[in-house]
Amino acid sequence: MDCRQFRENHFAFVDDILPGVELVGMQVHLVECERCARHDANVRRSLMLFRSLPSINPSPDFGKRLERRIRETKAADMAGAQNGRSRRLAAAVAIASAAMLGYIGFSLKHVDTPRDIVFPPVVAFAPVPEPIPATIASPAPEMVAALPAGLPIWTAAILAEHSPVHFASLELASFKR
Amino acid sequence: MASIVRKHAVQPVRANVREQLKAMDDSAVVTAFLGGEERAFSELVERYQTRLLNFVYRTIGDREKAEDLVQEVFIRVYRHLHRFDRSKKFSTWAYTIASNLAKNELRNRSRNPLVLFQTVQKNWQDDDRPVQFEDTTSRPDDMYRKRHLREIVEESVAKLPEHHRNVFILRELEGKSYEEIAEITDCNLGTVKSRLNRARNSFAEIVAPYME
Repeated sequence: MDCRQFRENHFAFVDDILPGVELVGMQVHLVECERCARHDANVRRSLMLFRSLPSINPSPDFGKRLERRIRETKAADMAGAQNGRSRRLAAAVAIASAAMLGYIGFSLKHVDTPRDIVFPPVVAFAPVPEPIPATIASPAPEMVAALPAGLPIWTAAILAEHSPVHFASLELASFKR
Repeated sequence: MASIVRKHAVQPVRANVREQLKAMDDSAVVTAFLGGEERAFSELVERYQTRLLNFVYRTIGDREKAEDLVQEVFIRVYRHLHRFDRSKKFSTWAYTIASNLAKNELRNRSRNPLVLFQTVQKNWQDDDRPVQFEDTTSRPDDMYRKRHLREIVEESVAKLPEHHRNVFILRELEGKSYEEIAEITDCNLGTVKSRLNRARNSFAEIVAPYME
């Protein structure tokens, strides 16, 4: 074992956790190397000194102070939890309101808003020609009388218009009077 | 009369619970606390307050601040014990919290020179204490030598780099295993061994001239 290996394994040597073979190697090196032996002694002595440092104790009011701080912490935690609940509620209300407003806004955007009345373009229509009034508003009684006789309408109409028909029966009737 | 009888009956029960808690291991005490037994927390405080105080004090070198930090450790333990993984050791968890708080304190000090100055000033004021408070049975030259040596040791520890000092104190003062130190400092085992070796060597080198 050389000095470098000795220094590398020294912490385990001090803590006595080296396996047997290595432990013997370290002990042999300690006998052989004065420098490493001095180093080993220095480390062990300094550690003894450090371990013998007086322990400090908590101040007498340590427990009371801790108790008070824990009480404060508990109270703060409880208040925090309550705040958290009310904060959650407030957040829920805010979210609901926002959603409602959003919905209303959306609805308003899509509702037919009253606008200026827009008339359809003016289209000019030709007046529908009224049917030409028949010169004879109603068929003359002569024509009506002629129909069952098998005369065509138009000839009957012409006859009724241009040459008044005097039926014999009518003439006869007037004649009788 | 009945109330007196009741009082007498309650006191032994309380004492009995305390004794039971004292006899329990950490894990059982934690379980009792989580089960609603508030006195279990006092038991944990009693077990760890001095150990944690020494650990934090040796790490940061300021007694008052160390007490504040240890109180903070217990408050965190109280608030977060329900989150503690009970498959692990309670002591390791408590030391991890203490170590992190001490680390933060040192970091804050290095960022804020005023805090550092105040700490140093406080230590100077501590030096003005009358010597007889050290040990009344010793001769004055012995007392001076002891006190001087103690200061040298404390200063030598303070001279170690922070991550070396942490490992050094956990091992030499608290007697923690390498594995526990690795967990507390969040390092791997190799790093812990290497830091411990270096810390021991550095400390021996600093202290050696005063021991001759």
